[in-house]
Order: sequence, then C-alpha cells, then structure tokens
Amino acid sequence: MKRSTNRILTTHAGVLSGPPEFADIDLQVRTGKPYDAQDYAARRRDATFKTVRRQADIGIDVVSDGELGKSRGYPYYSQRITGIEQRALRPGEIPVTVRRSRERLEFAEFYDYLQKIDTRLAVPPGTRLVCTAPLVHLGLGKLQEELEAFRAALAHVRCEEAFFPVIAPGWLDHFMFNEYYGSDEEFIYAIADILRPEYRGVVDAGFLLQVDDPGLPDAWPTFIPAPSIEEYRRYAAVRIEALNYALEGIPEDKVRYHVCWGSHHGPHTDDIPLKHIVDLMLKVRAQGYSLEAANARHEHEWKLWRDIKLPEGKILIPGVVGHASNVIEHPELVAERIMRFASVIGRENVIAGTDCGMGGRVHPQIGWAKLQALTEGAALASRELWPA
Amino acid sequence: MTHSVDRILTTHVGSLVRPPALADFYRRMRDGEPCDEAAFRQCLETSVTEVVRQQAGIGIDIVSDGEFGKTQTWSRYVLDRLNGFEFRRLRPGEAASSGAAALTGRDRELFPEFYAEWDKTQDSVLLRAPGRWVCNGAISYRGQALIGRDIDNLKRGMAAAKIPSGFLPVVAPGSVVPERADEHYASDEAYTFAVAEALRSEYRAIINAGLILQVDDAHLTGAYERIVPPGTLADYRKWAEMRVAALNHALQDIPEERCRYHICWGSWSGPHVADVQLKDIADLLLRVRAGCYSIEGANARHEHEWRVWEKVKLPAGKVLMPGVVSHHTNVVEHPELVAQRLVRLARLVGRENVIAGTDCGFAQGPLVRRVHPTIMWAKLGSLVEGARIASLELWGAKAA
Repeated sequence: MKRSTNRILTTHAGVLSGPPEFADIDLQVRTGKPYDAQDYAARRRDATFKTVRRQADIGIDVVSDGELGKSRGYPYYSQRITGIEQRALRPGEIPVTVRRSRERLEFAEFYDYLQKIDTRLAVPPGTRLVCTAPLVHLGLGKLQEELEAFRAALAHVRCEEAFFPVIAPGWLDHFMFNEYYGSDEEFIYAIADILRPEYRGVVDAGFLLQVDDPGLPDAWPTFIPAPSIEEYRRYAAVRIEALNYALEGIPEDKVRYHVCWGSHHGPHTDDIPLKHIVDLMLKVRAQGYSLEAANARHEHEWKLWRDIKLPEGKILIPGVVGHASNVIEHPELVAERIMRFASVIGRENVIAGTDCGMGGRVHPQIGWAKLQALTEGAALASRELWPA
Repeated sequence: MTHSVDRILTTHVGSLVRPPALADFYRRMRDGEPCDEAAFRQCLETSVTEVVRQQAGIGIDIVSDGEFGKTQTWSRYVLDRLNGFEFRRLRPGEAASSGAAALTGRDRELFPEFYAEWDKTQDSVLLRAPGRWVCNGAISYRGQALIGRDIDNLKRGMAAAKIPSGFLPVVAPGSVVPERADEHYASDEAYTFAVAEALRSEYRAIINAGLILQVDDAHLTGAYERIVPPGTLADYRKWAEMRVAALNHALQDIPEERCRYHICWGSWSGPHVADVQLKDIADLLLRVRAGCYSIEGANARHEHEWRVWEKVKLPAGKVLMPGVVSHHTNVVEHPELVAQRLVRLARLVGRENVIAGTDCGFAQGPLVRRVHPTIMWAKLGSLVEGARIASLELWGAKAA
C-alpha cells in the first residue's frame, strides 16, 4: 500500500455515482427484475470505465471501481452464495437490523419523515434476507467479472493504486438473518468462510482489498435497551476475530479497513464514540484504517490520536469530505482537517479520504464536486506539509 | 448580557420551526383562505411564550421569539410594514423578485442538475407565484402595531420564563428587495436610503423596548454570486458598500452594544461553491455599527474561516457570534466539536468576545424548515452543552 511520502495521497470510501445512462438497468437488476446478462455486463463495464476515468481526471490517487451494481439484496448475493432466501416479514420483524435502534425510537417523528423522502432500501419492502441452509460459496465468477471490468478500466488511466471494497462478516449479518446455524458465533464464522475466497480473489488479482465494516460501530444503537460498553465490545470482538480469520494469509499491506457509523442522514446522536472501539479497529489485520472525520458527530475525534498511538507502519484514511451535507467542503477546510491529523500522527501516515461512499447519498454532481474539493485540499495541505 | 464575562454565552440566529397550529394559520393566509384574526393572535401569543420557554429550558441565554410573527420570509415580512411597495405579476421581459423564477446565481449555473432535483423538495418556499415587488411610491414605515405586538409577545415569554435577555431579528435595508424594481426614486442609493430611513422606526422600537436588535443581511453576501462573474470583486464591494452605508444610517442612534449584525450565505442546502469569501468582506462587515457579528462557522464552506481572525483584528469591545451548529446537516453536532469551534476562536479574539450561535435560523419563513424540529432542538442542546465544555476549558474551575 502506497503512503504519502512526498505529498498527501487521496482516495475515498468506494461507492460513487455512475454515469446517468447506467441508472435504469442498475435499478432493474437491483430490484430483481429480469434482464439480459450480456447487455448488463457490457453496460456495467462501460459505466465502470467512465467512473474510473472520472476519478483519475479529478486527481484521486487510489481509485475504486465505483461499486456500480453492488447491492445488499438477494439478487446480488444469490449469485454468489447458496443457503439464503428472501422471505416475507413476520409480525414484529424488521427488514434490516439498523431499522430498529434507540436513536430511531428517540427521533421517531424525524425518522417517519425521513422514511418518506429516503427511497434507498437494502431489500424490497416487507421482506428480509435469511440464511436457511449451510452457506456455500458458488465460486468467484461474479467477482472476477467485476475485477476484470475494473482492470480493463484502469488500463486507460493513470493513478497510484486501485482498491476494491468487499463487505465484512459483521456487516453482512446486519441484513442477512440467521435461521440455520446454532449460534451467533457459528453464523459469523460461516459468513467469514464465504468471504475468505472473495478477499483472496481481490488481492490475488493485484488490487488492494478494502473491507467495509459499518457494523463495528453501527450495531451499538440497535441493542435495546442499551448494553454496557463491555457487553458491546464482546459482541464486536467476535466479529473482529471472524474478520481476522477471513483475512488469514493476506499480507496486511494489501488491506484497508473502513468503518463508519452508517451513512443514513440521521442525527447520529447515539453513535458509539470512537474511543470505545478504536483498539478493536486496530486489531484488524490491515495497514490502512478509513474512518469518518468530516461530519459534525465525528469531526472532533481527531484529537483522540493524541492519546492513542497509531501503531508503527499503519495509515489512517480520515474522511475530509462527507456526504452528510450538500455543502461542498472548502478546500481550505479539507487542508485544515488533513493538517490536524498530520500534526498528531505524522504526514506520511495520512491519506485523505471520505466519510463514506458518495454514491446514493448526495446528488451525483455534489458527490463529484466533493471529490474535487478533496484533491484541491490535499494539494494545499501537501504544500504546507512538504514546503518546497 | 452581551459579552461572555465568566462563561461562553449561548444564543442563535432567530428563526425556529413554527409549531403546526401556527404554521396552519400562515398556510391559510398564503393561500388566501379565511382566517380568524383573534384566534391567530391568540395562537401566536401562546406559541411565542412556549418557544421562549423551550429555549430557556435547554439553556439558551439570549432568546428570540422564533420569528413567529413574520408573515413571509425573514426579509419580505417587512413589506407588510412599509408603505410604497406593491406586488405585481410579471410582465414580459421583467425579472422576478419572488418565487422560483427569482432564484439565480453562479451556484445554480454550476450545479443545474442538482438544483433541478432539489427545487422539487422546496415547495413551501417556491410555491409563491413568480412576481416582483415594485416600489411605486414614497417609502415609509407603518408597522408600529406589528412590531409592538412582536415585542410584547417576546417580553411576555421572557417574563414567564424568567429570561432577562432577548433579541428580535429584523431585516437590513439592503436585504429588503435587493433586486430593485423602483418606479419612484431617482437612484439605487436614494431607494436604499429611503428603505433605511423607514426601517429606523422598527429598529428603534426594539431598542426602546430594552431588547437586543439583530439585523439580518443575507443578501449582502448573496449578491456576490449574481454580480461576479462577469463583475469583479471590486464591483461587488462597491455594491455592498452603499448597502452598509445605508444600514449605518438606519443604525445611527442605536448603541452598538445593543445591536448584532447577522450575515450568512443563504440558508438553502446547496453546494455554496460560489459564496464570497469572508476574508474579502471582513472589513466591510466591521464597518457596520454593531457590537456583535453573527457569521456562519459550522458548515463545510465556511468552517475554515475562523482563521480570518488571525489576520483581521477584531476591534476592541466587539463580539463574534460564530455558528457552531448548522442547519445544513441532519447530523447533530457533537458537543466536543462545538467546544473545539468555540475554543479555537476564543484563543484568537479573547474568550469574552465570543458567544455561541448558529449558522443561520432554522426556518427562514413561516412554512420553511431547514431541518426537522426534533433535530433543531437537539442541535440547540448540543450548542449549550458544547459552550459549557468550552467554558470549562477557557475559565477552568472559575467558569460560571
């Protein structure tokens, strides 16, 4: 993994808005409607190509494929694993774990209103994804299709490195419910087993692997009533161990680990403070850690790194632009945020990133303008951090 | 109570989301439906008392009436209180000064697809028919009864909540109708000064009542993106200088320490990339005869500008009121972030010269709400808690 040796490198958290012409077929596939697989693959390749080129044009150093076409629903996972089905909700059930939380109870009126205007749904209304038989991986065909499209796009652009995000076990279990395995731990390790080949597949293909794990902090408000910090850490520790098991054999310097507190446009007043989970995060066998630092609930947490020592060789990828507001970060604010991190952990240990993926949470024009602000701000910071 | 003597004082920019019953009256007025005047006045009175109590309850030191008495937006409400204006349907070739058609500027040119989508969510602001406010006679003030009512309502609420300090926000001359459509005065300057002269009455009524006067001037900054390009920063400054002079005319007999001046870059939740930079107007701002300046400081386009005060010296006796929470995001500011924002500015300009504010109001018209009310109150709660943390850091154990 490259680090910021003579300037601040730039990257983001993965999801981007694809070109408008991809939107219709994307929706068709996500929602499980019939489609022509060959036509879809061709369109996806083209959209990926444009998305990669746009990142390079903006000056993003470590690019993703934009995660076009990726979803959390049955249509996506059923092509990769068996043992799951999508079924109707039974009375009292929720479609995904985060739909019931202490914050949602406290801000019930607000969430009623948000639900009316937020049309993003991980699964079709009234359903949930369940595991009803042993999870078995169907082979890497689908992954390789995605990686091939990414590789083809990269052949035409200049960038420093390329990363490919895959989900963490402790996040997949937020929207895949266990109805087969005997214990929570067994289920998590079963998920880890099906993710192992995907992780390896990414690294073997020569990409950096990004493991996405909003689950590490995001499960906290979903426990009702609130657990003690120690109870929660026990729940999270199992997931971190399962993730490390899935990462076995993969060199640390090929892995970055992304945590966030959920990208939904809520108040986030019940987010667990980073200080309670930072040591768990650092246990993950990764070299880079991507975390939120550009929104009003987590911006102040840069100060934590004055007390917590970032282990030798590790890299932080703080969010210096975020999706929680339409306002485009001023490049000088981006620079200030980078400088603060550099001042506590060292300039060579900072890569400028985003709070979470931009795709789907802000208008595409806003998302791309924010990435532009990110690269401009990183250039300003680099000039200050490496004078002459 | 204007300086932070032994702790960081807390306040906000004025407008708060109207409660449903009051909003319903305003909706009916907007749509021309019949409305029981006595019932409306009663609802307004109880709503103001309640909103003052709510502010006091969460620990806001300097409270407002939520701007509940304003029939239209933060700036156009005053047209109910001024003689000399008329609202007209557009004739061919005329530019609008109200409704969606009036919305122009560089930001919109740069982000047309975003705005096309976003405007659809803004019905409450944009439904008003496109038209223009025309000045077609001598401007004078006739709002004595209305400002008197607003003052009485606020003071009644303050007495009930036992809160000694309150402010009433009113509009600056330059923000009344910045796109001048004037068939009466000979020049832009004569027109703007006539507005200023009329507004003196409103300003003085507030001061005479013992309240703090807040003058809102979002169009002062907002004009920049409509002037530049093709104009230059110098063109814009010339435009703004005359507005500041007119405002100072209106403020001439008002003690500076009783007046705060609020600028922002427009409260709509857009990209704001074409906003004028504070460093280019800080000197103009400081020319306004006010003791306190309320400026955005909690959103991504202006948060970095606290450092402007490294280079620009804040004159003795003046107070800054940075936004430390914002209406631009649903995310509720962490109190530690609020404290960081306050402390870094206090270290630059002196702790006694900083009071904690918001970027802008939360409801720039009777039917507007920039965030859901539950989020708004949570943000004000964070502001108070953050100011407490900052006070401990700045005054230590001696903090009040």
